[in-house]
Amino acid sequence: MASERLDDWLDRNAGRLFILPAVLLILAFSLFPLIISGWLALSRFRITREGFELRFAGLANFDKLLDGSQQFHFLGTFTRIGLTGSVLLIGTAALLAWGVLVYARSGRVSALGIAGRLIAFPLFGALALMFATTVGEGGQLGSLSTTLFYVVVGVSLQFAIGTALAFTCAQRIRGRAFFRVVFFVPLMVTPVGIAYTFRMLADMSVGPFAPLWQGLGLGEFSWAADAWTARLVVVAGDSWQWIPFIFIVMLAAFESQPTDELEAAELDGAGAWRIFRDITWPSVAPVAATVVLIRIIEAFKIVDLPNVLTNGGPGIATESLTLHAFIEWRALNLGGSAAVAYLLLFVSTIACVSFFQFVVRPMREARS
Amino acid sequence: MRERRLGEMSPLAKVLVYSVLIGWSLVVLFPLYWVLITSFKLPGQVGDGPDYLPFLDFMPSLHAWRYIFVDLGADTFRPYWNSVVIASVSTVLAMLVGSCAAYALARLHFRPRLISIGLFLLALALVVTAMATTAVPWQLAVTAGLAIFALAVRALRRAPSPRLGNGDILFWIISQRILPPVVAALPIYIMFQQLGLLDTRTAIILTYTTVNMPIVVWLMYDFFVSIPVDIEESATLDGASKLRIFLEMVLPLAKPGLAATSLLVLILSWNEYLLALFLSTADAQTIPLLVAAQNATRGPQWWYMSVLIVIMILPVVALTLLLQKFIAKGLLLGAVKG
Amino acid sequence: MARTLGTLAAATALALLTAGAASAQDKPYEGVTLNVMTFTGPQIAEPLQRRGAEFSEATGAQVNVVTVPFSDLYQKVLTDWITGTDSVDAAIIAPQWAVDYVTPGLLENLSARVEADTELQADDIAPFFRDFSQKVDGETYLITVDGDFHMVYYRTDTAEELGLEPPRTWEDYLAFAAAADGQDLNGDGEPDYGSCIAKKRNAQSYWMITSIAASFLQSQGTSQGAFFSTEDMAPLTDNPGFAEALRIYKETGDYAPADEINLDVGDTRSLFTSGRCALTLDWGDIGTLAIDPQNSQVVDKVGAVILPGSTEVLDRDSGEMVACDADTCPHAIDGVNHAPFAAFGGWSGAVNSAADPDVKDAAYDLFSYMSQPAQSNADVTVGATGFNPYRTSQFESMEAWTSAGMSEQAADAYLGAIQDSLNSPNMVLDLRIPQNQRYQQIVLDTTIARFLADELDVDGAMEAITEGWNEVTEEVGEDEQLEAYRSTIGAN
Repeated sequence: MASERLDDWLDRNAGRLFILPAVLLILAFSLFPLIISGWLALSRFRITREGFELRFAGLANFDKLLDGSQQFHFLGTFTRIGLTGSVLLIGTAALLAWGVLVYARSGRVSALGIAGRLIAFPLFGALALMFATTVGEGGQLGSLSTTLFYVVVGVSLQFAIGTALAFTCAQRIRGRAFFRVVFFVPLMVTPVGIAYTFRMLADMSVGPFAPLWQGLGLGEFSWAADAWTARLVVVAGDSWQWIPFIFIVMLAAFESQPTDELEAAELDGAGAWRIFRDITWPSVAPVAATVVLIRIIEAFKIVDLPNVLTNGGPGIATESLTLHAFIEWRALNLGGSAAVAYLLLFVSTIACVSFFQFVVRPMREARS
Repeated sequence: MRERRLGEMSPLAKVLVYSVLIGWSLVVLFPLYWVLITSFKLPGQVGDGPDYLPFLDFMPSLHAWRYIFVDLGADTFRPYWNSVVIASVSTVLAMLVGSCAAYALARLHFRPRLISIGLFLLALALVVTAMATTAVPWQLAVTAGLAIFALAVRALRRAPSPRLGNGDILFWIISQRILPPVVAALPIYIMFQQLGLLDTRTAIILTYTTVNMPIVVWLMYDFFVSIPVDIEESATLDGASKLRIFLEMVLPLAKPGLAATSLLVLILSWNEYLLALFLSTADAQTIPLLVAAQNATRGPQWWYMSVLIVIMILPVVALTLLLQKFIAKGLLLGAVKG
Repeated sequence: MARTLGTLAAATALALLTAGAASAQDKPYEGVTLNVMTFTGPQIAEPLQRRGAEFSEATGAQVNVVTVPFSDLYQKVLTDWITGTDSVDAAIIAPQWAVDYVTPGLLENLSARVEADTELQADDIAPFFRDFSQKVDGETYLITVDGDFHMVYYRTDTAEELGLEPPRTWEDYLAFAAAADGQDLNGDGEPDYGSCIAKKRNAQSYWMITSIAASFLQSQGTSQGAFFSTEDMAPLTDNPGFAEALRIYKETGDYAPADEINLDVGDTRSLFTSGRCALTLDWGDIGTLAIDPQNSQVVDKVGAVILPGSTEVLDRDSGEMVACDADTCPHAIDGVNHAPFAAFGGWSGAVNSAADPDVKDAAYDLFSYMSQPAQSNADVTVGATGFNPYRTSQFESMEAWTSAGMSEQAADAYLGAIQDSLNSPNMVLDLRIPQNQRYQQIVLDTTIARFLADELDVDGAMEAITEGWNEVTEEVGEDEQLEAYRSTIGAN
């Protein structure tokens, strides 16, 4: 019968039908716009008598950002490498060298692996170099460095505090449910709202901490007028919102350690450190790696906080890449905006994929 | 040392633990408290300096609440309602589309040919170039592109080609999350403008669904993978169709996972700002836009903003309280374990 | 405030009654829906909503006011009109942006309507706004509802106490600020500030530097221009005059709150009206905000002066500064060259040329209604509306002001300063060439922000602005920009 044949056909193609909507959505709203954006990045927008025109401009927009008049905005202002810069460079070089060694000796070298590393490692080296040469005395971080700062420092801070809180909460305490709900609340506030809230809180004259600042003699100091304190305030706001996420996940991880193993170890008289190293960490590590990856992916896109807190200032100190692109777009410099967005996409993709390959995967495999 | 049961702490440790937890609770709650009392302050009171306790330091006033709910009445209700509709509908859609895709990837084996994908990208590039450089209307270009693609695939169906697997498809879907919205925002704007859907809830719903669906796929995939196949296999032997198995057997088992994932997706949609800004003007304005808009050129109006933030948080908090045991169940954990 | 708004309400009720009585039967725009966009208020948006409601009542048109944050307004309206979406029928925008909208033909030409409109009383609109601000290439495209330019406000009580004169030059300004800095200006026991100027990035600060630089750069009248050379479009941002302006601008920060770099106009107005600043540089809003008894602590303590000037100006041929005399500074007042800056130009109504004919008529009538003396003269006396005076009748009659709560003395000073500015032949017209947003909001604003944050020194800043501006000029086309620049300041 026809309906049976229809059922059969549906059943045979169930797989494709199940996955089709997802694929279509992505093709229409992700891939297609991405390619159009790519073309925008290669052109220049102009308002003309007929409306507007997009003139092909080759790599002019990228050139401007990397080597032209907007270099200070994107890459930063260069200076001599100071102490921080040197430490960073040496550390990165060591890490990369170790990465190469580990790979070479792993016995699972493949063409794809080599290609991937050939792209990722030099990029990390270049990023470290850029950061080192702009962070010294007299230099200025560009939007790329600032974004990397938010990602690396922000996520590390969030992970450290979130995991510490989760560990604390995983102990035998009362009211765990209460804490779990309370700690979850910051996730529910819209980032724009958080930004304004923090602006209110950080106000030196009418904010709640004003008496404290003034008591400490900081009444005349403005966090918004100093590049690094401004960035730290952005990180603070971002952390306030996202620590709950890490907390929730890590708490669940700590709670689902294999209790039988734990009890057995205790009975055997193992010390706290050994328990942590042999039982807790292997069970928790893959989760930790994945949650950090999720945070890294999101952190690259930060925009609401720097936009509202300082409008990207002082100067361009807190401007993230998305904010940079957004500001360009607002002034109808569509080509420039798309170029910045594409560079962001490039860097964040390599960073996230690398993190997945080099951190998350090994942890998952180690566990199994 | 005194013998202690597993997990039982010394008094010192207990004090430490509780003070850390209570300390962090203050860190979490104080900003929110501040927002709450600011919503009851007059502009002069905010400008004068910090007042901490209502009734003691300052007289609370309902002026901001009145302005938002009465004076602006419809202008507050419209974005609020838009947010409610957009967040719930896009969450449901994202869950639907994402779960189906996740289930398919967990249970079935896909082996798309690399050559087909290559051809698709080629066709896409051709279509975009055609639209950009010639005056061909987009409807024609897209249809032609699809036709060319279909023909090319058919023609080359016997050609040898490496095949990709489920893992690659999964990776592709999840990596969509890395795409910064700002890259795609303007083209999406133009697309909706061509379709006449600008400044409608539909446009934002579709965009949010696409943006959040990868998270659903990621989280639900691991969940489905951890469900033993036996139940489904026996059901298949009994003659049940895949759809029925999915709807009637698997989804109910996945309830905790679904609940927590949808809460996460709902929160993301509820709070989203950038894309809503791009795609709406007046009719489809959402609440985060209204919050940001309180920053008039002549200064942020903290009191109105605080009211809006409070009414934004309340429903989500309520929902979380309802679903909080599911979060506890560690569905996120299941997915995150990998 | 409540009382003022109450009076306004009574006045509008009266207006409604009369309007209603006059046109009781004919509702010309019955069934017409009008979407008007502006930025989030209450400034501008509130009077638009209020007058829009009256207009609806009288004419049957449905007026929807849509607001977006200020920094998004330019691009939202432009994108809506240029992509043909046309969900916005009319907008209250900055006249600076008009040129970007007029070039692709997005704005409705209102010349004929204005000609035929007797109720608008166009002659009453100050010539500067009527002939420069509302027009592009000689045709009217905008209806002024607000008059904008910068002035310096000072505390009259502080001046008296410290024996200071209102500042006539920027040196005077700095001296005044230095003397008043650290004094307790509002009686709360805390030291206050000599000067508060809004310097926040991506906000409304980028006009402040031009207010200071203008008097060093322009002395021969509006047509000389203060942004570019009218010969070859070279930016006037790399010369001793501009350098001096940058130094002055930076020095004002020495007498200001520590977080001045993060203060927007809302913050500085708040500070000034709560008595914490001796001086400020701002648009006309302070005059009306200061007399609000509920929110101001400086009622009757505020004086206003025309923008301070300079005793030296730039000689464009030699590139050096020369002293002011009858030749170099023909418009000097007591030897000081003033160049009042019509910053921003004043919010104006514009109509979408692609809207339906009756929608366009309704939009024009709405803007005309708002601009007519009966409505406008009342609105400009209320600080919350954001509307500042732009009609001659508004500064000739003191009544409206004194009944709004300004003392005669304060009204005299305030209106006098406005009048001096408006009547000055050396007024500086804001930049109105295509893509002026990129010149000012992107290049100038970012560079000034970096300069204030010590990321650049004076020379570095001048170089950055000049290079950035030249780049934009090159991209758009030097000849076109020169042509446009000359035509907007009447140098052709």
